[in-house]
Amino acid sequence: MTQQDLHQQRLLREAEQRVIQMNTRRHFIKESAMGLGALALSAFMGSCGTKSTDALGGIAFDPAHPLMPKLPAFAAKAKSIIYLHMAGAPSQLELFDYKPELMKMDGQDCPPSLLAGKRFAFIRGVPKMMGGQAKFAQHGQSGHWISEHLPHLATVADELCFLKAMSTDQFNHSPAQLLMQTGSPRQGRPSLGAWSTYGLGTENQNLPGFVVLTSGGRNPDAGKSIWGSGFLPSVYQGVQCRSEGDPVLFLQDPKGVDRDLRKASIDAINQVNSEEYKQYNDPETLSRISQYEMAFKMQITAPEVMDIQQEPASIHEMYGTQPGKTCFANNVLLARRLVEKGVRFVQLFDWGWDAHGVNSSLSIDIGLVNKCRAIDKPITALILDLKQRGLLEETLVVWGGEFGRTPMMENRDGKANAFKGRDHHTEAFTMWMAGAGIKKGYSFGETDEIGYSAISGKLEHYDLQATILQQLGFDHEKLTYQYQGRPFRLTDTRGKLITEILA
Amino acid sequence: MVLLSFAKLVGRFHPLLVHLPIGILLVAILLKWLSIKPKYQIISIVLPLVFLLGAISAILTCITGYILFVTDDYDAQAIALHQWMGISVAIVSVLLYVKEKWGKLPFIPIKWSLLALFILIMITGHLGGSITHGADYLSSPFKKIFISNQSNEIIQKPIVQVQEAKVYGEIITPLLATKCYACHNANKQKGDFRMDEFGLLLQGGKNGKTIQPGNAANSELLKRMMLPLDDEHHMPPKEKSQLTESQIALIHWWINEGADSSKRVKDLVQPAKLKPILLALQNPNTTNTNIQTIPEKEVAPADEKILKQVQANHIIVIPVAKNSNYLSINFVVDSVIDEKDIQLLLQLKPQLIWLKLAYSNLNDQTLKGIAELSNLTKLDLSNTAITNNGIQYLNALTQLRYLNLVGTHTTSMALLQLTKLTKLKSLYLYKTGVSAKSISAIAALFPGAIIDTGGYKVPIYQADTTELIKPVSNR
Repeated sequence: MTQQDLHQQRLLREAEQRVIQMNTRRHFIKESAMGLGALALSAFMGSCGTKSTDALGGIAFDPAHPLMPKLPAFAAKAKSIIYLHMAGAPSQLELFDYKPELMKMDGQDCPPSLLAGKRFAFIRGVPKMMGGQAKFAQHGQSGHWISEHLPHLATVADELCFLKAMSTDQFNHSPAQLLMQTGSPRQGRPSLGAWSTYGLGTENQNLPGFVVLTSGGRNPDAGKSIWGSGFLPSVYQGVQCRSEGDPVLFLQDPKGVDRDLRKASIDAINQVNSEEYKQYNDPETLSRISQYEMAFKMQITAPEVMDIQQEPASIHEMYGTQPGKTCFANNVLLARRLVEKGVRFVQLFDWGWDAHGVNSSLSIDIGLVNKCRAIDKPITALILDLKQRGLLEETLVVWGGEFGRTPMMENRDGKANAFKGRDHHTEAFTMWMAGAGIKKGYSFGETDEIGYSAISGKLEHYDLQATILQQLGFDHEKLTYQYQGRPFRLTDTRGKLITEILA
Repeated sequence: MVLLSFAKLVGRFHPLLVHLPIGILLVAILLKWLSIKPKYQIISIVLPLVFLLGAISAILTCITGYILFVTDDYDAQAIALHQWMGISVAIVSVLLYVKEKWGKLPFIPIKWSLLALFILIMITGHLGGSITHGADYLSSPFKKIFISNQSNEIIQKPIVQVQEAKVYGEIITPLLATKCYACHNANKQKGDFRMDEFGLLLQGGKNGKTIQPGNAANSELLKRMMLPLDDEHHMPPKEKSQLTESQIALIHWWINEGADSSKRVKDLVQPAKLKPILLALQNPNTTNTNIQTIPEKEVAPADEKILKQVQANHIIVIPVAKNSNYLSINFVVDSVIDEKDIQLLLQLKPQLIWLKLAYSNLNDQTLKGIAELSNLTKLDLSNTAITNNGIQYLNALTQLRYLNLVGTHTTSMALLQLTKLTKLKSLYLYKTGVSAKSISAIAALFPGAIIDTGGYKVPIYQADTTELIKPVSNR
């Protein structure tokens, strides 16, 4: 044995010893850290364990089957919801809130009483008043005022229930949209759709329970967090689908991978995940397993359900669809197909309603008219189609933006805008609902003579959310989730049921 | 002002302090009674101290009680007896203390005065309770237990003919009774305001009149109701049950029309906006277009084992609500329904009321089995292969409220045979063989039902086809 061999042997021994030392120490620290962490975690996440949280006033949550249909607290009027959010905020004064007095003031300086102590997003100095830029008429037996921009919708006026005095406290798009959809102007809270699927699950296990469809060329300003799951388990977040190409991105198997291989790989991944679950007991792991299984099943069912080409020509004509493109009409038709197949919550966001008057497509006299034309026929078709299929009785349709628009013409930074436009307005705007136990041909709330603020029936988004949850079968005060040591709910500490509009 | 608020604060400690003399003096009575027996004679040492504490707390309670009475809005008459009884308690306890401590006052019979003190405490406490919680606080639940169907709460009597109803007596009074009387009545008059009698209601409170007949907008009563909920002057107070929008509208209308005590609805001008509200009073059911699809009678829960089997077959089964045993079933995941499934469903016959078979492979043969589920109130057979031959079986489902036959090979001939479905409220016939001519005959068969044959068109208007207004880059 040479000197070199001895040297090598010594080195090897030292290395082995080092390995053993390192391993044990690392092992110890790792295990204990995880152990402590797990202890702390189970304390923090009181409601996340495998146990039922009924005692905490929450909803039983089974992480292995997070989307299994659950029973509502009381018999629900609405099985599904189609929520049509006009992102950017449509002008109530050109569509539903008829104000002849405002027309008389057209072109006059805004009275100082309307400006004192108020803040607007863009209006500075003294703006001019602007009358409604549309002709209005009363429609149906209910006598709803609807403008010439929505001639089709006017034919189904008697199906609608208007909320004329909605209000909000956020005058910028992102926070106002978040407020409307999640109950908080900041990110991090679960959306209305997430609360709904958390509380009710979904009937069709082969499709997502909460589907989001967007049109108008852009996602809403608040981004994807307005259909997020916040602190709820991530499985409840909205699944964004497309009406063009694959309905869900990466839905098809990659080239060269067949169905069996895909099944085998998902089985293998789930095997690994269940080992992981055995070790750490993190319920999110079980959710992940079930999500893989759902995705596998969705590969078959989703393309079929989401293929609007399967509809007959008469239906396409009714909705005014443009197959192969991304447009609002396609999304509306898709929404009906999804609801028919048991999807709980379908949410449509249509961007482009922000008619400030800075350019023609974002103006009251041009852009708004075009937007109206794009939604008028499809929404009317949706209501009639749901009705003739017997689905309107159990489907709630909600339409609205995140705030309203000012009775004053916008003067950005004190200068006249290039086109006619209106600024963001928080004090009064119009929304409507139809179907599922809501009064038909009814109107709730009133604004003053110029549509500036509510004079009766003033509502805030919490009231709307409470009412939507009520129709789904929940008491909004009882649908809670334990998080950060206290129960959270969509309506926070507010929310008053709008009993007047319930049939 | 600060002094007054301070006095108010002190006064409001009365309901808290009041428990001290009650507790201490009752213990004192008990101890004194025990100490008479030789075995417990040793107790006598502490007796003076206990009576002293009792007497002090009784005096403090009397003082705070008087301050509360002066600073808050209580009726002197209702308070008087409670007040004098309370003062008597204090006096008797002081006397007993003197007797215990120095053994003086031999003319006071110890046993009788103990009994008197006990009775005084009980009566004073009860009177105090009646003032804060209302005179019927104990008696109303008592009555509910022993005298059923006899409640002294004011119930809004159903109005048979709203035009003949007295506006104040039959419409306004019940509203005020449920929302306002609790704090503005004979015993308790917040803001020195009583509302339970017409004269006093018009007379107003400490801030003057609350009703200006003919001028609702200037009437304090209405202003308070319209203030934002968070405003401290809002009435009823935030934490109490609130008036609804239409109830406020009724009060608004009544004041504007002169706030008269005896006129009938037909005597007053009725604005268009108010007509639906008035009509709703007459028959609460006219606005309720809801169809009752859940039987009122509860049913025994379904067999867990069968429910498990149903679920194992990928059939979605859920109770219709949390506290109900009635079930809803649908085949939205598994669209294949076979003989085995039918057998399972039949075992759930008492509970099963809603069934959805849309887009399933249901046919006339399997429908025969379904028709034995006689408790069904909602049945969706849309887009299945059933024909007229199958429709006839539906006559057995006499409880049906909702029947969906969209996209089936049904004709009016078969529908006209369904004479037993007298409770049907909605019938959907889009894309069926039902001819437009026969709709009136079908409608006659199901009076009051919504019959929808669909086929709606949304025609293309001139404005839809004209090219959208082209965006201009600059004007």
